[in-house]
Amino acid sequence: MLSDGEAAELLSFLNLETRADLKGQASEYVLGLTGNRDGCRYLQSKPDFLQALVTLTSDPSIAIVKDCFHALINLSADETLHQPLVTETVLLAKLLPKLLDPEYVFADRICTILSNLSRHERTCRDVFRALQEQDIGLDRLVEVFCNQGFNKKASLHYLGPLLSNLTQLPEARLFILDKDRCVIQRLLPYTQYEESSTRRGGVVGTLRNCCFDHAHHEWLLSDAVDIIPYLLLPLAGPEELSEEENEGLPVDLQYLPEDKKREEDPDIRKMLLETLILLTATRLGRQIMKDKNVYYIMREFDRWEKDPYVTSACEKLVQVLIGDEPEEGMENLMEVDIPKDVQEKLIELDAKEQEQMEKDEQEQMEKDKQEQMEKDKQESEKKPKQSPEGLER
Amino acid sequence: MAAPAQGEDSDDGMDEFMEKFKAQKYKNAFNESNWEEEFNKVPMFMKTAPENIDPEKNPDLACIQSIIHDDDRTPEEQARGLKDEGNDYFKEKNYKKSVVSYTEGLKKNCMDLELNAILYTNRAAAHFYLGNMRSALNDATAAKKLKPDHVKAIIRGAQCSLELRNYVGVLQWCDEGLKLFPTDKKLLELRATADKLKREADKDSRKAKVKAKKEQNEKKALLAAIKERGIKLLKTELSRHRGSDSEDDDGHGGASRALADLELDGMGSQEATGARVFMDEQGVLHWPVLFLYPEHNQTDFISAFCENSSFMDHLAVMFGEELPPWDTERKYQPQNLQLFFEDPEKGHLYQVDLETSLLNVLQHQRCFLKAGSPSFIVLVSGSLFSKQFLSGKKVKRSK
Repeated sequence: MLSDGEAAELLSFLNLETRADLKGQASEYVLGLTGNRDGCRYLQSKPDFLQALVTLTSDPSIAIVKDCFHALINLSADETLHQPLVTETVLLAKLLPKLLDPEYVFADRICTILSNLSRHERTCRDVFRALQEQDIGLDRLVEVFCNQGFNKKASLHYLGPLLSNLTQLPEARLFILDKDRCVIQRLLPYTQYEESSTRRGGVVGTLRNCCFDHAHHEWLLSDAVDIIPYLLLPLAGPEELSEEENEGLPVDLQYLPEDKKREEDPDIRKMLLETLILLTATRLGRQIMKDKNVYYIMREFDRWEKDPYVTSACEKLVQVLIGDEPEEGMENLMEVDIPKDVQEKLIELDAKEQEQMEKDEQEQMEKDKQEQMEKDKQESEKKPKQSPEGLER
Repeated sequence: MAAPAQGEDSDDGMDEFMEKFKAQKYKNAFNESNWEEEFNKVPMFMKTAPENIDPEKNPDLACIQSIIHDDDRTPEEQARGLKDEGNDYFKEKNYKKSVVSYTEGLKKNCMDLELNAILYTNRAAAHFYLGNMRSALNDATAAKKLKPDHVKAIIRGAQCSLELRNYVGVLQWCDEGLKLFPTDKKLLELRATADKLKREADKDSRKAKVKAKKEQNEKKALLAAIKERGIKLLKTELSRHRGSDSEDDDGHGGASRALADLELDGMGSQEATGARVFMDEQGVLHWPVLFLYPEHNQTDFISAFCENSSFMDHLAVMFGEELPPWDTERKYQPQNLQLFFEDPEKGHLYQVDLETSLLNVLQHQRCFLKAGSPSFIVLVSGSLFSKQFLSGKKVKRSK
């Protein structure tokens, strides 16, 4: 990398007082370093550089600010940089106040950095603590998230993944699951937010995390929150159901128009199903899902879904929906004690299933490739052949 | 008591005095029978204020009231007094009067913003209970403008919007309020209620759309089936005026355009008889058909004549067992009947073969349906009337 002398010189240019052109070139160079893994690892041991980048986000030159933010985003994408960034620089203290500044042009970039930093539990805790120190409660984050147009220059879509990451902490979930406030209810409509899959994914991730605490299931399933329709709507399609089937569904799922589209991102579809499966952990949850005829929606979904990983999750859910109630002592599936030999067998089955899904995926890819080749071949046969040998791939 | 030491005299005097009490009533005593009524007249013990205070009958009360409306006090004091007056009326559920008091209070235009906000809010509440939702909403809005953190005004605004079924409005009021008071139970409750009602309303609107679409599709299918059979629908007067500019006079071209443009709703038969052609599950059409008996000025209406049925099928039933009461000569027997349809353009009459199906007849080149309902003239073969009726007309006989 750089020699100590070179590094020192470079660092000296990364100063607010430095001449603009030198500053600019220096920050550009550092940005270049962050573009690859080796560069990032090098900077991991250079907290002065990290701090310099943070400081230069206040530079009067927009180009330099952009480069510095870009560099910080790259660095925050690398897990090994997380602790250095939060403990060896004033990044959190300096940038958090600007996050919710409605005029701040770079708010989106701060969002992205925070969303990266909060991915893993350890640094997530640091981020959460910093938010609290700055008096930025989660309800405030949710409020801003739900206020489109809050910042005219920043979409703040990445608040979604940030919230989702933060809710891996039980203390963060408590804020979202506050019964005396209106917090989680505000997030629910965003499971269908067409304009941004980042936002949608963030919300669904948040909801999924919140469903890990089965103590809150009764409240989540009740009218006070009514989470189920919002999980089902992205999975429901335009297929016509009979009047009888319609009337048995939750209100929001009745009489859907013929142009109704399903969630297009398979990862989000999988998360939605996982959330629904989590909600079947308690007997009450299973009862409510059966009463709301969730099965009809899953039946149509199963026919439509092509991705094997998502189908597998769907089938798991359907099995619970149409299966019998477990016996005494097993009502809460999350608390059941699984005997060791059964555990081993289940792990084996899971491994086999995983293998099968990978195989299916391969097969599907091969099929698609095959189809594409056929199509290409047909296309070329229509055109006059240049070489008699046929297609060149 | 410092009684002069008068010995027996004062004691006797005392006893005498006490004796009097037992015997005589003191002056201006309350009467046993009407003491409650009397009590109510004393301002201090009044349970409710009288509607109009007559200074002659109730000088004390009039006096007190004039103190409230006394112009010597500052506007703030006056406004406050009027607020209290309004509140008293409000407690008695005399909402109309309370509105008056609050309005008077606001007219004082005092500088106290909070007081004015309260006056608006209270007046909003009075209007609310009177059912004047819009006035109530306006007052709540005015109150909030003066004092944006006046939670009662915000709650009232939300409640009014709910009554007015403006669910989006309710959510806006509640969200504004929850920003300041995130745990207010009333606001949370109103928000949840409005959310639920809004989602119900959305469902109802989706359901209506689905129904409308279904009806639209059924109409299209019906028109297509009619067209497919080559049955010609004649435009009614209404639709004729709509499309008259572009229509050509050639019978065939005009008729086919009539087919393309015609909405089934333009078929007047629906208004006249309440019946309309329909297609059953097997795709068979059933028509409302009129039989006309010009000899006796009578008509028969068959609401659902299956296109595959023959005329004789119906006539055998209609005239088979019993003849209609208007058939005084007893001559309308099925085997004697002749049916004709009229070509509306040229005026010719075409005789119908009774054994043939309705569909067959409708497909006849010169058969045009007026108002979507086929009608047929029924005559008795060889009768005097039929000879008279048919004379002078061009008649095409069936084979």
